[in-house]
Amino acid sequence: MKYLTTIADKEYLIEIIDENRILLNSKEFVVDFDALSEQPVYSLLVDGKSFEAFVYPSDEFWNVLMRGQFYPVKVEDERERRLRLAGGSSVSPGTEFHLKAPMPGLVVDVVVVEGQEVEKGDVLLILESMKMQNELKSPRPGIVSRILVENGDNVEQHQTMISVV
Amino acid sequence: MFNKILIANRGEIAVRIIRACRELGLQTVAVYSEADRQSLHVRFADEAYLLGPAPARESYLRGDKIIEIALKCGAGAIHPGYGFLAERADFAQASQDAGLVFIGPKPSAIAAMGDKGVARATVSAAGVPVVPGTEGEGALSDEELLELAPQVGFPLLIKATAGGGGKGMREVSNLDEMPALLHSARREAEASFGDGNVYLEKLIEGARHIEIQLLADNFGNVIYLGERECSLQRRHQKLVEETPSPFVSDDDSLRQRMGEVAVRAAKAVGYVNAGTIEFLVDKEKHFFFLEMNTRLQVEHPVTEMVTGVDIVKEQIRIARGRQLRYTQDDIAMNGWALECRINAEDPYNDFLPSTGRIAHILLPTGPGVRIDTGVYPGFEISPYYDSLISKLIVWGETRAEAVLRMRRSLEEYKIVGVRTNIPFHQNLMDSTRFLGGQYDTRFVEERFSMNQPKKSDDSDAQIAAIFATLVAHRYNQLTTNVIQHSSRATSNWKWYNRWRRNHL
Repeated sequence: MKYLTTIADKEYLIEIIDENRILLNSKEFVVDFDALSEQPVYSLLVDGKSFEAFVYPSDEFWNVLMRGQFYPVKVEDERERRLRLAGGSSVSPGTEFHLKAPMPGLVVDVVVVEGQEVEKGDVLLILESMKMQNELKSPRPGIVSRILVENGDNVEQHQTMISVV
Repeated sequence: MFNKILIANRGEIAVRIIRACRELGLQTVAVYSEADRQSLHVRFADEAYLLGPAPARESYLRGDKIIEIALKCGAGAIHPGYGFLAERADFAQASQDAGLVFIGPKPSAIAAMGDKGVARATVSAAGVPVVPGTEGEGALSDEELLELAPQVGFPLLIKATAGGGGKGMREVSNLDEMPALLHSARREAEASFGDGNVYLEKLIEGARHIEIQLLADNFGNVIYLGERECSLQRRHQKLVEETPSPFVSDDDSLRQRMGEVAVRAAKAVGYVNAGTIEFLVDKEKHFFFLEMNTRLQVEHPVTEMVTGVDIVKEQIRIARGRQLRYTQDDIAMNGWALECRINAEDPYNDFLPSTGRIAHILLPTGPGVRIDTGVYPGFEISPYYDSLISKLIVWGETRAEAVLRMRRSLEEYKIVGVRTNIPFHQNLMDSTRFLGGQYDTRFVEERFSMNQPKKSDDSDAQIAAIFATLVAHRYNQLTTNVIQHSSRATSNWKWYNRWRRNHL
C-alpha cells in the first residue's frame, strides 16, 4: 500500500511492504510498530531506534505529538490522492465557518450581532470554562450569518454557537 | 487539641493535605461535590461527606455547610487549602466562632491582606516599598480612575480589588483604550469575586515576580524559607516556578533583604501560619510589595524540596499551638527545584481548556521527581473547576541538573484523554532564554512560541510521517475489516470501539 504523507509543504512517499518493512522515498527501513496499552500512544522502532508518540486524528490531519513537537500530518492513499487531483481544491475559502464550543461552558458575552462584518482575529464570543473567560475569535474575515446562543446559555462541547459566511 | 481535620478543598491540594495528616497520625475528613464523588481526596480520606452540586458556589464555597459537617463529624480543625474559602476572613471567623481551629492566619490578618488597598497601606506604613498606584483609595468610579491614570503613568494595570490569579486584570498602554478595558475588567471581577471594584497600578517593565515563603507561629516567631521565582506566567497565571530564583541566585544579600522585608510585612498584620509575600523585582534589583497570599501556595513544593521543610505539616503544628521547629539559622537552601503546572489545556489551540475522561496515565518517576495530583485513569476532567491536573516537581543538585531532569520527566509523562500543556513545558525547557534564566513576566506571551525550529527537526519530522502513516494504515485496515467481516471479527470490533472512544 502506497501513501503520500505531507507535513507542512514537505512530502513523503511511504510504501508499506509488510509488517516490518517500509519504503520511505524509495529507501527501505525495518520498522516495528505497536500501540501501547491500547492507547493512542505508539511505540515505533526504526532500524533499532526507539520513538514514542501520541497519534490522534482531527478533521483533516493525523496529529503526531512527539518529543514536545506537534506535527499535523496529512496521509493520503493513492485513491484519495487521485480523487483530490481530479476534483481540484476541495475546500473553498467561501464555505461557512461554524464556531463550535471547544469545551462545555457558559456563554458570558456574545460580542457580535447578526449581519456584522468581522475581520480575522476579531472576538466573536466570550465563553467561561474552568474559571477562565476565553475569547473565541474568527479564523477569517466574513459576515456573521447566524447566532444560535445568548448570554447566560450553557453550551455543550462541539455545540455550534455562531456562523460566519 | 484537635486530632481530626476537615479539608475544605478538592483536587491535588486536598490530597497533599491528607497525606500530611496521615503521616502525622491525624484523622481526615473530605468534603466533595457531586462531580467529585470519584476523586482521589474522597478515596484517601478517613471520612467523606457530600456538599452539593458541582458548581463551586453550591459546594466548595458553602462555608456554612462545611462548618456544619465539621461539627457533626467531630473534626477539630479546618484546612482550607488554596482558592475557594482559603482567603475569606468571614469563613475563618465563622470557623472560630463555631469552636473550630482554622488552619491559617487570624481573620483580621486575612482581611487586612485581602483588601489590596488596605494591604498596601499597612505594609508601606511598616516601611515596605510598594508599587505606585491608586492604593487604599477605596472604590473609585471609572471617571475617577481615568482622571488618576496619567498620574500613575502608562503602561499600567487594572486590577480587581478582591482579585487574585489574574482575574479581572487588564493591561492599559494609553488613555484611549482604557474605558473599554475598565468595562471588561469589572465584568470579569464581578463574575469571579462578586465584586467589580478595581484599582490601578503602575506596570513595571521587565519585572520579575519573586515571592518569599513565610512561616509564623503564635509566639511571634516569623521565618522565611527563601524565595520562589514565579515569572513564567501566561495571562497572569503561573506556569513554572523555581527556587532559588536564577535572578537572585547567589546574591545572598538580596535574598536576605527581601526575606527581612517580608517578615516585617507579616509582622505588621500579626501574621500566623504559612503565608507568602509576592514582590515585583525590577532590573536594578529594586523590589516592591505586590500582595500577600494568606494561605498555602500551589507552588509550595519547590520550597519543600530545597529546604526539607514540610510546609503543610508545619501549618498543622502551628495551628496546634506549637512553636516553630526551626529558627532562621536552621534554614538552608540545598540544590535547585522546578515545578511545572500540568494543566488540561491545549497549547496548540490558544491554551483552551480541555475536558474529558482520562483514559491512561504514565507517571514519570525515578530520582528527584515528585508529582502532586488528584487524578488517575478513569477520572473525568469536568469544566467546573480550574484546569490544574497535576504538578510535576523535580529536584537537582544544580539548576542544570534540575532542568535536564524536568526534560526527561516531561518526556516520560503521558496523559491520554484530555489535552495537556506538557508540550508547552517541553518547548520551554528547550528554549535558550529559559536555560539562561533570562526571562521576565512577559516572556511567555511576548517572546515564546511553540514549535521553534530545532536542529533535529528534519529527521524527527520524517519519523512523525512514518508514525502517522502507520496509524492511518492500521485504521484503514481495521475499519475495512469491520465492514467486511463484522459477524466474526469480534476482536476488531473491540479494538474499533476502543479506538473510537479514545479518538472521536
